[in-house]
Amino acid sequence: MKYSYIKPRKKTVISSELQLLLSFFTITIFMLSLTYLFLVFKDYRFSQNTQDMIAKKIELENDVATMQSQITFIEKEVLLYERVNTKNSVLKDSIENLFDLVPDRITLTQASLLKNGLILYGVTPNKDVYNFMLQAPLRSIFSETYSSFYPAQNGWLRFVSTNYIDEDELKETVVEEGEDEY
Amino acid sequence: MFSKLLEGLYHKIFINIVIGISSSVVYVEEYEKQKLLGTYSETFNTTTIDTKMYEYIKSFTSESPYNYIALLDNSLIQGAIPTCEKKDMSNYFDKDSSKYICYQNRWASYSSKPELNFLQKTYSTVGLDFIFSPFSILSRFFKDKINSTLALYILIEEQRISLAVFDNAELLYADYLKMDTIQESEDVLLYENADDDIDLDLENSIDLDDIESIDSLENFGDIEDLDTLDDIDEFSEAQETEEEIEENADESSIDDIDGFNEDYNRFTRVQHSINNYYKDARYESKFLEKIYIADSVGSSRELKRYFEEEMFLSVYVRRLDLSAEVCEIAKAETI
Repeated sequence: MKYSYIKPRKKTVISSELQLLLSFFTITIFMLSLTYLFLVFKDYRFSQNTQDMIAKKIELENDVATMQSQITFIEKEVLLYERVNTKNSVLKDSIENLFDLVPDRITLTQASLLKNGLILYGVTPNKDVYNFMLQAPLRSIFSETYSSFYPAQNGWLRFVSTNYIDEDELKETVVEEGEDEY
Repeated sequence: MFSKLLEGLYHKIFINIVIGISSSVVYVEEYEKQKLLGTYSETFNTTTIDTKMYEYIKSFTSESPYNYIALLDNSLIQGAIPTCEKKDMSNYFDKDSSKYICYQNRWASYSSKPELNFLQKTYSTVGLDFIFSPFSILSRFFKDKINSTLALYILIEEQRISLAVFDNAELLYADYLKMDTIQESEDVLLYENADDDIDLDLENSIDLDDIESIDSLENFGDIEDLDTLDDIDEFSEAQETEEEIEENADESSIDDIDGFNEDYNRFTRVQHSINNYYKDARYESKFLEKIYIADSVGSSRELKRYFEEEMFLSVYVRRLDLSAEVCEIAKAETI
């Protein structure tokens, strides 16, 4: 039964000072827990990142190896290209030289460039023109020169000139060229 | 559940304050579960709260958080009414400015809200848990009689009287009376103040030299003739003997006279209230034959005689330890 005009004050074991102290402790513990959780999360993220980075590093290393092999291949291709290019330019020069060698009065019908020689087919008005104007420069270039003639229908002479370079000389020339490059 | 567990670990302390004429009694009971560990009581010369009382109460409240401070309401505007119906209450008191408690849905006690707030404010330093109406004390104290006997039930405090007419647990009439006695301490204070005033007045006292008509006082010389009267000695002797008798009477029964005055004062106030009970149309008047007095002051011998001789009532007196009774009701409230 109710007898009092007023309600009793709420009874609590924890005094206001203790309540304040406890609330401060709770806040501190809460903040520490948050910091701890944050650090744990950060640590987890860091380890995750490390693993990712290691994986990426391995991938990149593989890529680097692949690229290295590609580079090697490309370098080889470049070397090949340079060699082919050099050969082509040499060939071009040789052909230009060859055509420069051929006088206007002689007409070439076929030319075969060999590894160590040159075979020319053509028409010449006479042997002298051939001997003086074509064979002489050919002999200065090639070590061995053979010529054969047979008459054409219009009275001119068809000729076949087979020229060879001595292989030892050729090797020496190549070695000299290589030394010049380096 | 948790709070109940904690409650079991601490002592329960009931601090009860009963305000008297010029002092307050603080009565303390300390319990461990249901076991009474001790009772303490101290009287303080204040009707509010002073430093000593504060420190005394604080010494107990600091022991346990489960302390309950109860105060017996001494508001001037309070009483009890024979109804619990809200619509009928306005016939007896201003409902807006009062708080009320219903008892068994039959009757209610009320008290002024501003005065209750003032009490709470006065004791705010220690805090109050309960403010009890003297009528609830009265009804609990006489609960064995209230349910069966038509009678006037009176609770006598030092300066206040709570009276109620109960018939078979129904309240018929109730009144709360405050005695108009002048406090001795106030008298002393008044005299002290008067002395102070006199001291102050000395500085601004009238200079006799300034009185111009002093010569006119010479005519008083004629008064000397009065000494020649023959019967003056006889007159003075007779006066002295009367004074001696009165002085002797004063010395022997000064306390009795004080008690006599208080009891007579109480009797007249209660008698007036009983008349009011019979006359007031708001109350159902039944003829009273018995009076039950709960006496917390210990001076009801004369009062009993007055009721018996003047009003021909049967008077039954029970001694009441008011502080302990307030404690009992506080315990009942906390269960």
